[in-house]
Amino acid sequence: MSLSFILRRLGYGVLLIFGVVVLNFLLIRLAPGDPAVVIAGEMGGATEEILDRIREDYGLNQPLTTQLAIYVGNVLQGDLGQSFFFNQPVSRLIAQRIGPTILLVLTAQVLSILLGVFLGVIASRKPNGPASAFVSIFATIGYAVPVFWTGIMLIILFASVVPIFPIEGIQSVRLRDAPLLVRGLDIAHHLVLPAFTLAVVYLAQYARLSRASMLDVLGSDYIRTARAKGGSERAILFKHALRNAALPILTIAGMQFGNLISGALLVETVFNWPGIGRLAFDSILRRDYPTIMGVLFFASAAVVVANILTDLSYRWADPRLREQ
Amino acid sequence: MKQPTAETAPAAAGDPATAQRVESPAREAWRMFSRNVPALLGVFLLALVLLATLYGKLFYGGDPFEIVWAPYEPPLTTPSVPLGTDYLGRDIVAGLLTGGAPTLTVGASAALITMVIGISLGSLAGYYGGWVDNLLMRITEFFQVLPALLFAMVLVTLFSPSLWTIAIAIGVVSWPQTARLTRAEFLRIKELEYVTAARAIGARNRRIIWKVILPNAAPPLIVSATLTIGVAVLFEAGLSFLGLGDPNVMSWGLMIGANRDYMLDAWWPVTFPGLAIFVTVFAVSLIGDGLNDALNPKLRGR
Amino acid sequence: MTPLLEIDNLRVTFDTRHGMVTALDSVSLHLNAGETLGVVGESGCGKSITALSVMGLIPQPPGRIAGGSIRLNGEDLVGAEPARLRSLRGSDVAMIFQEPMTSLNPVLRCGDQIAEAVMLHQNVDSARASRLAVELLDRVGIPAPAQRARDYPHQLSGGMRQRVMIAMAVSCRPKVLVADEPTTALDVTVQAQIFDLLNEIQRDVGAAILLITHDMGAISEMADRVAVMYAGRVVEQGKADDVLDHAEHPYTRGLIDCIPALGRRDDTLREIPGVVPPLHLLGDGCAFASRCAHADRRCLAQKPVLTKWRHHPVACHAVEEGRI
Repeated sequence: MSLSFILRRLGYGVLLIFGVVVLNFLLIRLAPGDPAVVIAGEMGGATEEILDRIREDYGLNQPLTTQLAIYVGNVLQGDLGQSFFFNQPVSRLIAQRIGPTILLVLTAQVLSILLGVFLGVIASRKPNGPASAFVSIFATIGYAVPVFWTGIMLIILFASVVPIFPIEGIQSVRLRDAPLLVRGLDIAHHLVLPAFTLAVVYLAQYARLSRASMLDVLGSDYIRTARAKGGSERAILFKHALRNAALPILTIAGMQFGNLISGALLVETVFNWPGIGRLAFDSILRRDYPTIMGVLFFASAAVVVANILTDLSYRWADPRLREQ
Repeated sequence: MKQPTAETAPAAAGDPATAQRVESPAREAWRMFSRNVPALLGVFLLALVLLATLYGKLFYGGDPFEIVWAPYEPPLTTPSVPLGTDYLGRDIVAGLLTGGAPTLTVGASAALITMVIGISLGSLAGYYGGWVDNLLMRITEFFQVLPALLFAMVLVTLFSPSLWTIAIAIGVVSWPQTARLTRAEFLRIKELEYVTAARAIGARNRRIIWKVILPNAAPPLIVSATLTIGVAVLFEAGLSFLGLGDPNVMSWGLMIGANRDYMLDAWWPVTFPGLAIFVTVFAVSLIGDGLNDALNPKLRGR
Repeated sequence: MTPLLEIDNLRVTFDTRHGMVTALDSVSLHLNAGETLGVVGESGCGKSITALSVMGLIPQPPGRIAGGSIRLNGEDLVGAEPARLRSLRGSDVAMIFQEPMTSLNPVLRCGDQIAEAVMLHQNVDSARASRLAVELLDRVGIPAPAQRARDYPHQLSGGMRQRVMIAMAVSCRPKVLVADEPTTALDVTVQAQIFDLLNEIQRDVGAAILLITHDMGAISEMADRVAVMYAGRVVEQGKADDVLDHAEHPYTRGLIDCIPALGRRDDTLREIPGVVPPLHLLGDGCAFASRCAHADRRCLAQKPVLTKWRHHPVACHAVEEGRI
């Protein structure tokens, strides 16, 4: 994989992120009403003094292009604006909450891919067997269940029937000053339900996809060649089939990242998980636009980064694409 | 030397029997669909949901916002509120019967908006190629970067929540996939002989796009449209759950959202509306899968 | 002398959506050490199924070996333990496939794919296997073999890929080499090179070759003996020269007429009119009757049996009755 390709891909990513910044800017201006009031937040009951300061800071009395330049300049310096509701810079709000979200999203992603591929591979061994039927039904159900409702059902189940997992928050109050290892385990304990809730939807999709992908690969000529060499079923599965079947799964995993963030937003709200999804929900209820826009910007940038990483790893995994 | 076509499966070799009973594709698709048990189950469930939403009020009156009984009345205990009441004492059944209308309306109109934007942009990109394709695909990629639910939330909050805003917001975040699918179909079909033939007899571009290519691209697009309805329903439910739906209209998502804080006191007000959403999306996706099997026979068995 | 490979009365059935069809019916063939047996026929005549049966690679289900035996050095492969078949595949019996484009695993290096075959059947470490792979690539006439060993299949031309396949197949000096249309996907000039290579390798390794082809030209170039198949049965069998010079079955004659001869007066390409009937529509009569100029009522009613009437065994009522 050439350096110039990586640079081109990065440059394109920067362009996309710049696009998000411009979109944010336009949305605030397009919203009905005085942008200064919009920025201050409709629920804030902003004083004329604050509004004047906002007009000054954002250059709202100047031409639109100047306003855009000021806005982009601010974002470049890491200044996503000031949340008037939380009375804190948006960038600091996001920095405080990004950790739990990354933990939740990555855990759900890894969980859903591992379990999904496992189920899919098992189902592909007998395309008409009971495991295949289970995967198909499970995939359709998993796709149709609203993720926030899954969370609520799990909370009801684990709160009253089998209270073995905590149902809200990220750590127990009484363990806040415990040693690091204990706190880590406590967070993992709290992570179980939210991560599983978020994983279920995608797990079902990965299971279905990897089943189809494995069936496709197992019927291919090179698998027959591997059999003709006298390879064991195990070697054929792991050495020959899985690597090829993983390629479409990798593509989908990259494309799902944005959806995963959307899902995390609902899951964080249901489980009171202190991440940026919960932050978005809180700020939307308060019409705290700088924060909402900051979260939108940040989440989109995360998707861009995830897409670039997927693209690069795809090219690394598929030798046919390497030198293009 | 003229070689016979390569064929490895013994039973598939040149089959004159299939040539004798030529069937129109639509008929064959219908025959396949009408034998597909899960798909028929989907039709049945969706019909049930639609009938309850359209005509339920005739048999079971009642304002879903009205407080009719004591709060937290469990289901199957009181004949006048069969599925119990919520934290305010509002009738769950009345909510279920009226709460489907906004969800289904928004779902269907959002899917329509998605298909219109997606097919328009996708067909232009696929048909014209070159800089048109390049530009439109960059725009598509840009919209795919935005986390859909978050972006829809922003749109709905900025432009005050109403059924229309919600439908448009969902449409605006969902079209990229349809555009990509349409483009891929157009890229494939425009190289086929009958399109060249249409061009050779001097058909205009617009005619080729609408009358020649689009009908042939229809099968995957129909399947995609069906599945988009399911996605849009889930979207609307999510937005209403977060309290971003139209506050004056009772919907399934709103019922769950409103009763969420009391879910540990009463399981039923959050459980039944969720089941309703699930059954609707489940039915739609069963139909979608059935259509896929019927319309794209090559993919059968996947 | 007992033959190296003896197929006796083999019957293979497939479950299809038209019900159970018989893909091979009373097929008996034998292959002596070091010789080349050509199996010739159009698509769907059962020659590839014959090849896969020998390899134990009939997909089961839907396929099933319903009767008969395949003896390698007297050991029956039908009903042998899967582990035993695996240890024979690639070492004693190896196969070259028709499509070099798709028969190599796209995500593995060519050298590694050959080394895998070596390591499966010989007690060598991976470094030694890699060196052997390079030697084998050199042996099959690939220039700069050390570099090519590190290439992925898509980086090689079709002819080169087929050489890689051959290197892989002969890596363990098999006693029987099954070549299923090894040159069909290649250019005419490359075809000749591959045939030369196969002849050379045969002398080198001493393998017997079962050559599956639709091309009578390939038979005249390669085969010592030939079996002509039609609709799952052997219809004519004998020494290659004898069959080519004194073809008796109308189908064999048709195939021979298809060879484009230089200097033949009419430049048209000939072909046998009609197609192989689908197996589920085969009746009681001779399967070729619908395409045969000599067919009479008996041909439609009764299956002819392979019997020697004049030069060599042939299954044809018209030959038996001296009508042709």
